[in-house]
Amino acid sequence: MAIIEINGLSKTYSVYHKREGIAASIRGLFHRQYRSVHAVRQIDLQVDEGEFVAFLGPNGAGKTTTLKLLSGVIHPTEGTASVMGYVPWQRQTGYRRQFALVMGQKNQLWWDLPAQESFRLHQQIYQIERAAFEKTLDELVELLNLQGLLGQPVRELSLGERMKMELVAALLHSPKVLFLDEPTIGLDVVAQHNVQGFLRHYQQQRNITIMLTSHYMKDVVALCRRVVIITEGRIMYDGSLSGIIDQFGGHKLLTLQFSDEAPVDLKNFGKLVEVQSPRAKLRVDRSSVANVLGQILSKYNLVDVSVEEPPLEEVIAEVFASVNGMHEAELNKQQVLRNAGD
Amino acid sequence: MSESPPSYTRVLAVLARNSFVRDMNFRGNFLIEVITAMFWMTMMVSFYLLIFQFANEIGEDTGWTKYRFFIFLATTMIINGLMQAFVLPNAAEFSELIRLGNLDFALVKPIDTQFLISFQRVNWSGYANIGCGIALMIYSLIHLSHVPSWLEMSLFVVYVTCGLGILYSLVICLASTSVWMGRNQSLYNFWFYITTFSRYPMEIYRGPLGDPLRLIFTFMIPIMIAINVPAQVMAKGLGEAESKLAVFGLFATMACLAISRWIFGLAISAYRSASS
Amino acid sequence: MPVTSVNPQTWWTIFRISLEERLVYRADFALGTLMRFIPIVTQVLLWQAIFEALKGDDVAGYQYNDIVAYYLLVLIGRAFSSMPNLSEGIAQQIRDGQIKKFLIQPIDLIGFLLITRVAHKIVYYGIAIGPFALVFYLCRGFFSGWPDTVTLAGYATSLVLAFLLGFFLEAFIGLIGFWFLEVSSLLFVYMLINYFLSGHMFPLAMLPEPWASIAQAIPLQYLAYFPTQVFLGKIQGEMLTWGLTIQLAWVICFAILCRIAMHYGVRRYSAFGG
Repeated sequence: MAIIEINGLSKTYSVYHKREGIAASIRGLFHRQYRSVHAVRQIDLQVDEGEFVAFLGPNGAGKTTTLKLLSGVIHPTEGTASVMGYVPWQRQTGYRRQFALVMGQKNQLWWDLPAQESFRLHQQIYQIERAAFEKTLDELVELLNLQGLLGQPVRELSLGERMKMELVAALLHSPKVLFLDEPTIGLDVVAQHNVQGFLRHYQQQRNITIMLTSHYMKDVVALCRRVVIITEGRIMYDGSLSGIIDQFGGHKLLTLQFSDEAPVDLKNFGKLVEVQSPRAKLRVDRSSVANVLGQILSKYNLVDVSVEEPPLEEVIAEVFASVNGMHEAELNKQQVLRNAGD
Repeated sequence: MSESPPSYTRVLAVLARNSFVRDMNFRGNFLIEVITAMFWMTMMVSFYLLIFQFANEIGEDTGWTKYRFFIFLATTMIINGLMQAFVLPNAAEFSELIRLGNLDFALVKPIDTQFLISFQRVNWSGYANIGCGIALMIYSLIHLSHVPSWLEMSLFVVYVTCGLGILYSLVICLASTSVWMGRNQSLYNFWFYITTFSRYPMEIYRGPLGDPLRLIFTFMIPIMIAINVPAQVMAKGLGEAESKLAVFGLFATMACLAISRWIFGLAISAYRSASS
Repeated sequence: MPVTSVNPQTWWTIFRISLEERLVYRADFALGTLMRFIPIVTQVLLWQAIFEALKGDDVAGYQYNDIVAYYLLVLIGRAFSSMPNLSEGIAQQIRDGQIKKFLIQPIDLIGFLLITRVAHKIVYYGIAIGPFALVFYLCRGFFSGWPDTVTLAGYATSLVLAFLLGFFLEAFIGLIGFWFLEVSSLLFVYMLINYFLSGHMFPLAMLPEPWASIAQAIPLQYLAYFPTQVFLGKIQGEMLTWGLTIQLAWVICFAILCRIAMHYGVRRYSAFGG
């Protein structure tokens, strides 16, 4: 059963266009220019209960905007969405009690106070019963290894510890749906790893629904089975991680270990990635792998061979790049059409 | 988890407590606030002492003689102190939240957003001004050999609260404009300048310039009521004219609060459809 | 200490950038200028009420009309001598270490601040002259005609000196930030005293002794009270020359104090590693 349903959701912003120079700033006193930014365009998405979905996309692709729409923080320009049967932007109390929003770049804890004071405030705002509150808090503190830090002012905590505290604050009322915006941004590898481990464990144990945006591939690989790629406000891909490579990874990597020196004519078979004789790495079109391998085997003596998928990051980077390319091509096309029309 | 709305008094208690704990981190500021509040009081009192060297009362037959006028001054200080403690820090925070696009966390909480925004912080050092105001009031009452009755004292409290309500409404409306005007440093200046009108007895607003001002700031933006009514209660007692004004004050407070709620709502929805 | 060996081009660039920076805050500007006149209105009404009760008597040589003229002129004095954010700005730069920029680059901090301040003021006057002219035109009845040329020249000089005095005085307070990190409370007290003893709140002639002599002896009166007295013709001839000389002496005194504070402040700053 779908817990989140999005149909034709769009969000367009008007942005003030600032210009430089004295004359322009004087003109700006009287007249301002605005331009429209299409942050999200016609998104359709369904998420089932208990899913852990990752939003991937370059900066400004519309990931955060989508999360904000689903949190009811902003209004859409067009389209519908329902989360647990609620329309998010109606901001019904019943809805706001049941989800949580965590943003890696913003904090909601009182900066100068120990985190526990902020938690107590949440207890009152979310009407959590004392016993339940204490039980949940203990559990979360245990899972996140925060013992002894509750009494320390938030400003004295490390970035990682602060992020964990933010997670605790968000989970105290046991939300059914959790929106995570870049939860590991700026954290060191160990802290990232801890946060990932916690999220995985917590999600499996409680079977809550989580939507996460990130540009760290590692977060995504570690946590999500389902990935949604957004670029320029549109959904480019929606499916499993491995599916991305199937769909977008147009090549494979061959690693060849020769018995003698690596031959010089290897570049005729594909793109040479690196040569450290007697070892060579070759990038070959997916469709011609068997063919190329056959030819090499028949011509040279090989000690070892391996065929690998290209790294996920690379594939995704290519997807993003291809979108940009398409975008440019489209612009060029429009330009040509317009010129033709003149 | 219960479905009942959160207990607003409990949330308020936690907020006040948290603010107190935080302010205690900066005890040095507390002392400075006390000193500056006393300094301010000394200056205001000296200025009017200077004036009362030359005149017996402020305006002809207004009844604002020296110590009665000091009661007015004391009321001003008490209300200013309360504003500093409860309202101004929250309004400043609110316009910052809007400007930096940080309102999100407040919006997702299952509690009235205006309530949460309006009471998030209590600046306890505002109490320095309140304390000074009360001291000045007691001093003036002793000089007038007037012991206020229980009725007068409770009316005073009621009308100080109304005054706060009116001024709060104005501030929250001003802070809301940050949604449309962006960076808005004039906000505090505007607040300071506009409330200047409330800081003098309304009897001084006479003549071709004064009359329209009195009418505007009594009936359109009723800030003159904020200090004048409680000060009159304490200094002069309620005559017929004053009673009418006092009754009007109650309605004005309600109207102001309703309007501020409406404008706050507009600001929130503008924020929600604008860029973050 | 950095030497002021920068060419005019650099100063011109600094000047231009500050001009642009100022022009950006559009809503602020219009509102800010208009609102400056609000407190005047209440002060005028307050005095009107006081004079009504007095029935024709004067207060320390001031009639009702003189008082109104006084408050209007004080605003002009303040427009020259007040330096919003100057001290806070300097103290802030010292606190967060931005001041290092000026210790490394061949630009003199005080010169830089003076130039930007002049730019800010010029933009301010450019916009404020409209409302000011309007208000003075409407209130022309409170004045007894234009003063003579000598008085006007003296007035103009005293305003320029008031600007410089305001600048160096507040810059000096900001530089105290080298020794006390928290200058803001000191500044608040200074502002209060300034408000009282520069003549902003009332004509200083109303003060009883010994306060009148104290107010005469300290430099604050030159920020607003003195120029206003000059315009109103209450200080003339030899007294005018003498007054302007003392005002100039205070300017030089605080300019030197700024240099000294900067010199020792920087030395202290480098010694402690900032």
